[in-house]
Amino acid sequence: MRRKQKQRWARLRAWLTPPRTLKVTRIGRTYLVVTFGVGLGALNTGNNLLYLLLGLLLSMVVVSGVLSERCLRDLSVRRVGTDEAFAGEPFAFRWALSRKQGHAFALTLSEEGAPLAGGGGVGYLPAGVEHVVRANLTAPRRGPVRLTGVRVTTTWPLGLFAKTRVLPVEGTLLVYPRRGYACQDPGDAERGPVGEAGNPRRNDGSGDVTGLRELAEGEDARRIHWLKSASVGKLLRVEREREERRTWMLVVESGLQGDALERRCEEVAALSHRLLGEGHEVGLDTGDQRIRSGAGTAQERRILRALAWLGFEDERAEKDEEAA
Amino acid sequence: MRQGARLRLVLRDLASGCAFASMAVSGQLPLWTLGLYAVGLVSALAGKRLFARRAKLTALLLLGVAAVLVVNVTAGTLNLVVAACAFAGLISAHRLLSAPDPATDGQVHLSGLLMVAGGAALSGELVYGFFLIAFGVLASLSLALGVVEASVPDGEPLPVRAVMPPLSVGVGFAVAGAMAFFILFPRLNWNMTGPRAAPGLGPATTGFSNTVRLGGTGTIKGNPRVVLRATLNPDPGVDALGAYWVGRTYDIFDGQEWTSAGGVKRMREPLLTLRPGGDNLVHQRVELLPAYGGQTLIALETPSRLGNAVANSTTGSRRAPLQEMYGGEARFAEPGLSYSYEAYSLPPGGSGDSFRRLPSVEQDALLALPEALDPRVSQTAARILNGEREPLAAAQKLATWLQREFTYTLELSGDHEDPLADFLFERKAGHCEHFATALTLMLRTQGIRARLATGFFGGERVNDAYILRAGDAHAWTHVLVPERGFVTVDATPPAHRPSQGSKWVQQVLALYEALESRWRNSVVDYSFRDQVDVARALVRPPKGSEKAEQRRLPPPRAWGAALVAGLVVYVAWRAVTRLAGRPRPLDATRFVDKVEAVLASAELSRRAEETLEELDARLAREHHPLTRALSPVTRRYLEARFGGRPLRQGEAKQLLRTLEDAVAQHTRLTARASRAS
Repeated sequence: MRRKQKQRWARLRAWLTPPRTLKVTRIGRTYLVVTFGVGLGALNTGNNLLYLLLGLLLSMVVVSGVLSERCLRDLSVRRVGTDEAFAGEPFAFRWALSRKQGHAFALTLSEEGAPLAGGGGVGYLPAGVEHVVRANLTAPRRGPVRLTGVRVTTTWPLGLFAKTRVLPVEGTLLVYPRRGYACQDPGDAERGPVGEAGNPRRNDGSGDVTGLRELAEGEDARRIHWLKSASVGKLLRVEREREERRTWMLVVESGLQGDALERRCEEVAALSHRLLGEGHEVGLDTGDQRIRSGAGTAQERRILRALAWLGFEDERAEKDEEAA
Repeated sequence: MRQGARLRLVLRDLASGCAFASMAVSGQLPLWTLGLYAVGLVSALAGKRLFARRAKLTALLLLGVAAVLVVNVTAGTLNLVVAACAFAGLISAHRLLSAPDPATDGQVHLSGLLMVAGGAALSGELVYGFFLIAFGVLASLSLALGVVEASVPDGEPLPVRAVMPPLSVGVGFAVAGAMAFFILFPRLNWNMTGPRAAPGLGPATTGFSNTVRLGGTGTIKGNPRVVLRATLNPDPGVDALGAYWVGRTYDIFDGQEWTSAGGVKRMREPLLTLRPGGDNLVHQRVELLPAYGGQTLIALETPSRLGNAVANSTTGSRRAPLQEMYGGEARFAEPGLSYSYEAYSLPPGGSGDSFRRLPSVEQDALLALPEALDPRVSQTAARILNGEREPLAAAQKLATWLQREFTYTLELSGDHEDPLADFLFERKAGHCEHFATALTLMLRTQGIRARLATGFFGGERVNDAYILRAGDAHAWTHVLVPERGFVTVDATPPAHRPSQGSKWVQQVLALYEALESRWRNSVVDYSFRDQVDVARALVRPPKGSEKAEQRRLPPPRAWGAALVAGLVVYVAWRAVTRLAGRPRPLDATRFVDKVEAVLASAELSRRAEETLEELDARLAREHHPLTRALSPVTRRYLEARFGGRPLRQGEAKQLLRTLEDAVAQHTRLTARASRAS
């Protein structure tokens, strides 16, 4: 029932929204004021040259409208998107823009109705060529951002008016939690030095140096410490501590809301980034969802995605429904 | 600076230069402002932005300039509008010399716009129109390049070549639109102040003074500036008019200078009747242009009535009262930069003045001779006339002798005590004043009444009017002939009467004058009456088309206009009927469109050339959960579309609602199932 109402409102909004919006720029405002003044002067004095000038100024306004309309016609846009977007910092976003016929000039692209600051531009778009427009956008908060359309604006030809057209392109941008530093300790690792995690007391690792001993028969010559061997006069090998590889299951407590949830998500994201960077395995438990521990960048992305959706489960379900 | 940005700045600077020039052609801006702006523009074009690092500090210079202009305005030496225009120009110069950025560019273009508007208020010159168009084109190109430059990411070149063609077309349309607006927009002014006048560039040349001093070089004869424009009725229809246009007469010569007897005869009259006229008067509508620089009215010889005078100044136009001076001179009572008036003149052959009706001061002066007149003048005149006493015949005899024996020259140096004797007996060469003075005094020595007349000789046709140049200034003799009044006799050789300027320069100027005349008639003086005429011209037969009147048929232009109007109406009617006559989609078809939209939300779409019936059948085969909802809808559609059972009121809505509910439920179930998996 609520969805139907939403759709109805969306339809009404779409019906009421004009196909183009026009905004007067600063120089355009001045231009219009001067035009008004010249018109007043022409009417008041009957000076024919002022009439001629007024005619030229008004014609320029009309020509500006026609040329800008020609620019926005026949455009098609495809959202190329971004690799990853973190809240509060600029991320590279791309659109692929093309037009069937004619040229377009001075186009600026941004996302319509989304809380994404920034935009990208293209100076000249010839016909039949797909041009990728790059922009640095900034999302203020974590979570899914519903994208309804791409706003294409042009100030061509004289910069007096900014004419905008919105091309409907549905999509969702998932914004990961803000990047920062983890203030808390991750706590104890899930497992000790057993199984796959390796034994830290074995000195065949690649960690810190624990000592030197004589090279035994059949041992790897790459472990020889040549400087020390030269000074002692016999082959000495380096013994290094074997690195630990531990597993952490990071937890986001259920019931958190608002700023507390945001802060916790940022904390967990920072911890997982640090631990995965050190080569450990990290998992995530959010109450509703549990991600098995794993290592590497793919695991970090899984965790970030889960954190981004946290608190937006309704939207996710809706999205899934739409996808289905 | 990126490729293309330099071009944009050059275009911007040139546009500003054109805007300033549109004001400068009025000749009203102070010279020092012209100099300062020129320095600024040249520096900017050379890429030397002198104020780039000290924009705010150097803005103090503008305060100084403003102070100087304010002082000039309060002292009454400068018009407020002119001062404002000059200040706008200097602001523009300052901005040109500042570091280029979007804000500065906007200020340069805005000041350019204000300067062009100021130029419209100050000037009515043809050159203004050229500079206006040039400013429009250059500023548009610069603005467009700026707009594109703002959208091009750093490091990429500006697509200058791609920008130019569409923008040029746009600017062309804008100029055409401006003309259409200019022609069609009704001239119903709230406060008609009338045309304004600007002094133009260069000083005025031919102002009549109260004296004519004999001697000196005749520099004015080489001056090609146009001082008078007149339309005549009846129109002589010749290219070279060769007429005498009289300004004023002189009757007392003291040996070196000519002066007039008497002063003001009548003060501040709206209409002057100098002498009675007849039915065959020549009507003239005369414009004295700023280059004329005098207050004496000029008219074809011999003027009978003068009036309907208007004086134009920088602030507008006003009615100008006239003064009548002794000697038949008419003057404007109030100064102006240019004037327009109407005059009626007698046809050539004599002024009709009677000696006895002349004022006594004039009667006495017509035979006056200088005290120290060289006796050889009288002796020579008597010898040449050889007893001829009839005034006109005597004057013609002497004029012929002068033309034959004396040469015309403009190269005369120094002042002489007796310039007439020097001309007649020493140098034997002079210009029109020498010839006219010699003839007048020689006649007087023989008891024949005569006086010196000054004005212009000639009349060059430009479009429908005749123009006179400063170089057409001329002097000749009026001989008083009984029963005919004053008759013109010219002793100057005919070849040297009109302007003596360079022919090539005159040809170039003639072309400019033709354009300027068209500009003035079609643009500067365009009025509501002209708009009505434009409309009427489409249906009214042309003037003098007697055949057309006899046929009582409209002219071809009217047929053309009617044809165009008919075509426009036909095309509009076709478009309307096509829209109105479009087959409206049936209710059932609209219904099935909505069904399709609902199915699309459930990601069910018809395959190529698959009907709704086939889709329903396919879903039934696949045991699709929506079949139960879709089947009745399909059946009902088929009945409505082909079975002759149209949908009832509200039935379509009801069926659609059922289908939508089914689709929504199906979507929910699918989502739940996908989550569970």
